[in-house]
Amino acid sequence: MSASVALLLQDVSKHFGRPAVAHLDLTIRRGELYALLGPNGAGKTTTLRMVAGLLAPDGGRIEVMGVDLAKDPASAKQVIAYLPDDPMLYDKLKPMEYLEFVAGLWGVSAREAAPRAAELLDWLDLSKHGHELTEGFSRGMKQKLALAGALIHAPQLLILDEPLTGLDAAAARQVKDLLLHHVEAGGTVILTTHILEVAERMAQRIGIIQHGRLIAEGTLDELRARTDGGTLEEVFLQLTSPA
Amino acid sequence: MRGRPGSAFWLLQHELRMFWFNNGRRSKRRNWLAPVLVTLWLALHGLAVFLLRKMPDVPPSVLQFVAMAATVLLVVLATFMFSSGLKGSVDSLFERGDVDLLLSSPLPSRSIFTVRLGAVTLGVALVYLALVAPIVNAGLFIGHPEWLALYAVILAWATIWCSLGMLLTLLLVRVLGARKTRVVAQVISAIAGALLFLLAQAQNLAPNGGPEAFQGMVADYVTPGSILAPDSAVWWAGRAVTGSSAHVLGLVCVAIALFLFTVHFTHGFFVRGLQQAVSTVRARSKPGAAAQGRFGRSLVQVVLRKEWRLIARDPHLLSQVLLQLLYLLPLGFMVLRSEEHAAPGVAAGLTMLAASLATSLTWIIVAAEDAPDLLQASPAAMRVVRRAKVAAAVIPILLLVAVPLAWAVAHDAVTGLLMCLTVVAATLCAALTGLWQGRPAARSSFQRRAKGNWVAFVVDLVGTVSWAATGFVLIRAASPGQNAYDARWAGISLALALLTLLLAWSTRRRAG
Repeated sequence: MSASVALLLQDVSKHFGRPAVAHLDLTIRRGELYALLGPNGAGKTTTLRMVAGLLAPDGGRIEVMGVDLAKDPASAKQVIAYLPDDPMLYDKLKPMEYLEFVAGLWGVSAREAAPRAAELLDWLDLSKHGHELTEGFSRGMKQKLALAGALIHAPQLLILDEPLTGLDAAAARQVKDLLLHHVEAGGTVILTTHILEVAERMAQRIGIIQHGRLIAEGTLDELRARTDGGTLEEVFLQLTSPA
Repeated sequence: MRGRPGSAFWLLQHELRMFWFNNGRRSKRRNWLAPVLVTLWLALHGLAVFLLRKMPDVPPSVLQFVAMAATVLLVVLATFMFSSGLKGSVDSLFERGDVDLLLSSPLPSRSIFTVRLGAVTLGVALVYLALVAPIVNAGLFIGHPEWLALYAVILAWATIWCSLGMLLTLLLVRVLGARKTRVVAQVISAIAGALLFLLAQAQNLAPNGGPEAFQGMVADYVTPGSILAPDSAVWWAGRAVTGSSAHVLGLVCVAIALFLFTVHFTHGFFVRGLQQAVSTVRARSKPGAAAQGRFGRSLVQVVLRKEWRLIARDPHLLSQVLLQLLYLLPLGFMVLRSEEHAAPGVAAGLTMLAASLATSLTWIIVAAEDAPDLLQASPAAMRVVRRAKVAAAVIPILLLVAVPLAWAVAHDAVTGLLMCLTVVAATLCAALTGLWQGRPAARSSFQRRAKGNWVAFVVDLVGTVSWAATGFVLIRAASPGQNAYDARWAGISLALALLTLLLAWSTRRRAG
């Protein structure tokens, strides 16, 4: 595996009675923001959950930053952060306590974690809610706190499943800025989204998955070249519509 | 027959359907259960006819004593009905997910309230109606149609206590707010349910004389002319059970009046209460101190802190767990009074209580983990996390029982140490069983945790009882003058406890 590759999936499959992911090959480079698109039930979330180590693939190989996920899951997970589409927080914890717990899980030292937690809460506009339990948070606030938790250990690979769902415009902007900042700082991001404009504007490369298979991949221009062109929405619909 | 959509009758049908879905309907695999229960219920009718035909008629002179016994029985029923009614009312206000839908519909709020209260009452009364049905129906065959009045008495009694439960719920919402009402109602409901147990223990706890003095005290009150005399108005409800038409009518009238009062005067408040309930659940918590991060702790410390914080900040859940301590009160008195003959019983009770608390806490901490994906996606060693979770469940219990155990050791070292042994072992075994058998669930399903996991339930129950029996027999065996008979039983119960633990381990759920 090349040193420039952040994530490598080779012939990865997963079945839930029917194939959810079928012989998927995927390569994501370091410092890249990669958008994985696909219709509902295409296998996006299953793919991300396998990469996060939450699901074991039935076949194939996954490498994260050169580490085989199956052989050394702890090392691979050390450099990953996964944010599901509906992140589960602890209702009875305050934001800083939540970050304290997540930092503990990743074994982040106090010297690194404390300033980073404060910085993330400030950046995501959550500091003023520091005295509140998360049970009273709105969907957007919860999503932002979960993102702060995902970033507390400065992951090299950030895996995000529909990170902008339910966010208002301001919160979405904050999250997008944070993701771009993460990539500028050398981090890698793979995200799924149904908001195609987000992928169009933010992603350096886009993969389109359908029936568990990668049916198209490339920059927006490369995808346009494969179709009649137009917006990503038009490209997406052309590629995923039944022939 | 189907009610006109939007009518109160239609809504009642919906409520009863929901009641059936929530309480009656089982999985397809248990389709056989309903016919078996119905057959048994019908068989009970035959048995009732057979037995009642053999019984002599009750002479009128005894009727007043029957009325007294019936009143006591009704009081017992009242504690259960009030407890269920209160729980049903709180469920209507806080737990049901259809509140917004109903209130935003054009249905009159009075209808909603009437139907809700009616459904709670019917749900509560149904069990008791089914229980008395074989006897009452048998009465028709043996020439006592007046026994049918018992149906009316039970319905009226349930109406009275469920209405009071609803009124208390509304009062609590007004005084305490919706959030606290849920917790307080839970506590009151449990205390009402446990009242019988505590009353049953009253004679053991009575100072100066014990049970005999207690019975003598009660006898003084039932002498003619005293407040509990057989002709006293106190036994009024019981006279309705004996078939006195006037008393049945009176009871039904009281029930209807109370029901109408509850509906008429509180439906507006009910709407406000509902809105408060819904909005409070969604409201942000009151500002407290902003948490200062304490980073850099070990994984075990981090898990312990997180678990204890979550439990300590969930008064609803905490109250459900700690209510088990009600049953500790009589045990505590017995320990403090140093009753030697009671030591085996105290050991068994403490052991069961500690194990029961361990089961509850382990379920909350292990099975009801809110963010399993977060733990699994982290590089933290799950082995360490699981051990920390078991420690988080066990440590508070051991701290809790430390005081009575220390007292027992100080009073009699051998007995105390044996008590410590069984209590600690039972606590650990219950926690390990929970760890190995627990299935992922939401914290809100705490009270339904045994459903759908019968293997774990049975293993846990047998393990707990075995450890309690071990404690009981071991301490008896250690008492002066006991023979090897008790020691043998101690060995058997200990073996059973260990076998149960082995079974829990061998059938454990594999960590994901």
